[in-house]
Amino acid sequence: MQKTEKLPKTKSISYSRWGYIFIAPFFIIYTIFTFYPQLLTVYNSFFEYYRDGLTIIGPRFVGLQNYKTLFSLNTSGYVPIFKFMGNTLWLWIIGALPQFTIAMLLALFFTSTRLDIKGQQFFKTVIYMPNLIMASAFSMLFFALFSQVGPVNQLLVSSGMALKPINFLGMRVTVQSLIGLMNFLMWFGNTTILLMAGIQSIDEALFESARLDGSTSTQVFFNITMPLLMPIFIYVLITSMIGGIQMFDVPQVLTNGHGIPNNTSTTLIMYLNNFLGISKNYGMAGALSVLLFFITAVLSGIVFKTINRK
Amino acid sequence: MKKLLSGLLAMPLVLTLVGCQKPADPTPAPADETAEGAVLNVWTWNEEFWGFLGKYYADEVVDEYTLKKGDVTIKRTTYPSDGGAYQDALDAALLNQANAAADDKIDLFLAEADYILKYTNSDATMDVKSIGVTDFSNTYKYTVEAASDANGVVKGVSFQCCPAAVIYRRSIAMDVLGTDDPAAVQEALKDWDAFNAVAAAAKEKGYTMIPTTNATYRVFSNNATSPWVVDGKLNIDANILKWMDQSEEFVKNGYTAYTSNIWGDEATSEMFADGKSMCFFGPAWYFNFSMTNAQDPEKGCMGDWAICQGPQAWFWGGTWMLAATGTDNPTMVADIMNTFINNEEVCDALVKNEAQFSNNQAVNNKYAEDETFGSEFLGGQNPNAVFAELAKNIKFQNVTQYDQLCNEGLQTYFTEFLDGQVATREDAINNFKDYIRTTYPSITVE
Amino acid sequence: MKKDVNKSAELKLLISRILVYAILVFLAFLCLFFFYLMIINSSRSNAQLKTGFTIIPGGNFMKNFSNAWHDGSINIPTGMKNSFIVAICSALLTTYFSAMTAYGVYVYNFKLKNFVHIFILAIMMIPSQVSAVGFIQLAFKYNLTNKLWVLFVPSIAAPVVYFYMYQYLQATLPLEMVEAARIYGSSEFKIFNQIVLPIMKPAIAVQMIFSFVGSWNNYFMPSLLLNSADKKTVPIMIAQLRSADYSKFDMGKVYMLMLMAILPVMVIYIILSKSIIKGVTSGSVKG
Repeated sequence: MQKTEKLPKTKSISYSRWGYIFIAPFFIIYTIFTFYPQLLTVYNSFFEYYRDGLTIIGPRFVGLQNYKTLFSLNTSGYVPIFKFMGNTLWLWIIGALPQFTIAMLLALFFTSTRLDIKGQQFFKTVIYMPNLIMASAFSMLFFALFSQVGPVNQLLVSSGMALKPINFLGMRVTVQSLIGLMNFLMWFGNTTILLMAGIQSIDEALFESARLDGSTSTQVFFNITMPLLMPIFIYVLITSMIGGIQMFDVPQVLTNGHGIPNNTSTTLIMYLNNFLGISKNYGMAGALSVLLFFITAVLSGIVFKTINRK
Repeated sequence: MKKLLSGLLAMPLVLTLVGCQKPADPTPAPADETAEGAVLNVWTWNEEFWGFLGKYYADEVVDEYTLKKGDVTIKRTTYPSDGGAYQDALDAALLNQANAAADDKIDLFLAEADYILKYTNSDATMDVKSIGVTDFSNTYKYTVEAASDANGVVKGVSFQCCPAAVIYRRSIAMDVLGTDDPAAVQEALKDWDAFNAVAAAAKEKGYTMIPTTNATYRVFSNNATSPWVVDGKLNIDANILKWMDQSEEFVKNGYTAYTSNIWGDEATSEMFADGKSMCFFGPAWYFNFSMTNAQDPEKGCMGDWAICQGPQAWFWGGTWMLAATGTDNPTMVADIMNTFINNEEVCDALVKNEAQFSNNQAVNNKYAEDETFGSEFLGGQNPNAVFAELAKNIKFQNVTQYDQLCNEGLQTYFTEFLDGQVATREDAINNFKDYIRTTYPSITVE
Repeated sequence: MKKDVNKSAELKLLISRILVYAILVFLAFLCLFFFYLMIINSSRSNAQLKTGFTIIPGGNFMKNFSNAWHDGSINIPTGMKNSFIVAICSALLTTYFSAMTAYGVYVYNFKLKNFVHIFILAIMMIPSQVSAVGFIQLAFKYNLTNKLWVLFVPSIAAPVVYFYMYQYLQATLPLEMVEAARIYGSSEFKIFNQIVLPIMKPAIAVQMIFSFVGSWNNYFMPSLLLNSADKKTVPIMIAQLRSADYSKFDMGKVYMLMLMAILPVMVIYIILSKSIIKGVTSGSVKG
């Protein structure tokens, strides 16, 4: 017995160099294509460095000037990143709130033995489908559907529900709602399936005994399901939030990059994209990226805390 | 499935090997005057010029992206103009021109008046006189000025001349003014006050004067008396403010159908037969190439249109061909340029078959005087007679390399005000200023 | 009395069932509606599209298809070819090398083992946009723009896929198996390629599909790195529709292009939907 235990130990020592060999490709590629560019991004953020027409301006060391610019008031009288951070958060919330509510309900429906839903495979397949659509194509589709002469307005006007076409793509409420709706449609299926798996992993016996105690389904939900589901719920929530910070394609295509109206749908990444447009402003884009990194780092910290708490 | 998977799993190694085998950057071959390149690369933002190149210059159209002329293959790279995507891609390619392989180098690229200065004032373009384009006797003066750098060196030529007009619906004019005769309509629209009066009359009859407030933008911006950037600072010309006044007035009075982008679904749907808008604005290429809804066989209204100068003289665009520094096909580049300005047969065909207003005065004037010449779209009206007159007034002035995004941006942000999404005009202008600050760090914005 | 309780409970159940099915059907309708609309609209002419909604397809499907396929400014066949190359190569590279990395960390004991694991988990959360600025700068400097391999080679280092593979190995691969194979004299690579990979097939299949879909739909990086017409991928072309030269707008063609853009992914999904839905859950739940 002792012998067999010793054997793998000595073996594993002699094999340790293989560990490095196996992880080498990952780290080589990571260093070249991600880590080095990241360092360069940070480095850039301390320089004035952009293009004016075909002339390259800089790089010229400016210290923290780009960060200062990033946090200073613009002509309209606000700090762009604060407003765009707010937009990003708000646009995430209006999609995520219905997404999580509906997903939680559906997950409960699907796992309920009492309801015994038939055709689950079909529903699951269908609600996951929008997640596969290219965000830019989805956004383009909405753009065509909701234009003032598009099919939605034609329907509204011809049915008498609206007197004249509604400018869906020009008004704050409708633009934001459409972005929220698209994000909801693209993600609620995915969330449903994750939460459902979480519920399924809860020990059935707990539900049984609660039922025998005479608990109502509301009590079961709040006293058993929710607390036990919490780690997964938070995991899904935070990953959704990190996805939210990176929101780009949907509002970019729907508003043609202008975040119309009044910059109320400009997200942080759209702002980054503007710096990387015709002037290739590596300095400002670098500073904004560093900031993005810190925001995500904080959120990631929360993720780790939750995962570890479990 | 199993076999497929394991087969696929074995592939990455092969693929990485293939990836590695890609040859290192070929050393750029110096442009050789005697032996010229096998590939001529042309950059465009749409298909208009490419179509003419295929019809009137190339020997063979291979596919949508490839032509043949003798032994040379002509290739096209196209980017949409909107949002600066074309400029952006072109800049990147031109900055990389020195490192590109001879057959990948840009040889000829197109540019619009809105940003042509960026290219003519740089080393990325070359003196076309040095490659054999020397005869500008028949071209319009502004087209040569626009393609010249600060020292007067000519860097390219335009294949069209773009005086612009009011394009009105005959049937609506008949209803509103009691006539569709261009001279009479011109009299009724001779200045902006007259134009506004007609707008009121049109509204009485249930029409809108214009499809969108942005339709008249170019007339005002083209008549600006100062450029977008003065001494490195963003400058909004008084004429742009006049456009804002008019737009605000038109929205308030219901003289406009929409406030949307002129290229959008809303404005273009007004071109159909059931559209209610009386006046569109543009040069020959606009009604010929951009008013496709009006030419739709099912819902269009061919022949129900006519042109007149309108309230103010103006021009819009022009497509310049510029010779890229580093081209390995200088002879053919020069040949193409000469063909489209000096080959009477080709210029003749552009006017006759393509409804273009060419950049050859002799040819244009010949058709201007030809009473049998008329456009089907314009119900038989001779567009050249109008344009030849208008072309005399064109001046290329107050232009900067930043114009495209300034023009697009201003319209976008001011439209938000017209739509009631920002409270005041100042708010809209501030949004525009913030956009310019982010887009062009080199422009000082106050 | 008891019967009554049963009856009212049954009635309640019936009502809630009806309600639940109604919600499900509504949501399923919402999800399918857009696909249906895209298919219908892609079969109608530009003029027909201006007349409003219909549920019956028009007769222009083939014409729109041919217009879209031969469009002058959006070269969809080339786009699809490029997207396929990038998506398939990333799917293969990312699954193979992530499995390899996960195996290396899981099976071997080496000094940095724990550090490596934590490090990869930490970098998992960094948005790709953070490296984008530096990356495009390097790409322009070293002439790496318009090279498709630049888009798929980086997928070798994919922290998320690594995480998933690691979880999967933990659950399915007993270390004794590796030991046993060594006793039979198999080399380390042979053990990984011939014994471990087959065990990981379900995980690889799922990640391959995700990765395929992810890179098929990827827009941000490609849009910054590709500017030559023959290298553009499908999402760039679709985004161009929004900003395209409207002068030639034929909405029938636009709908057709959108349909073409999502079709390959849809087909793959419908064939493999069962394993995808299983895959979404198996990786994360253990986390």
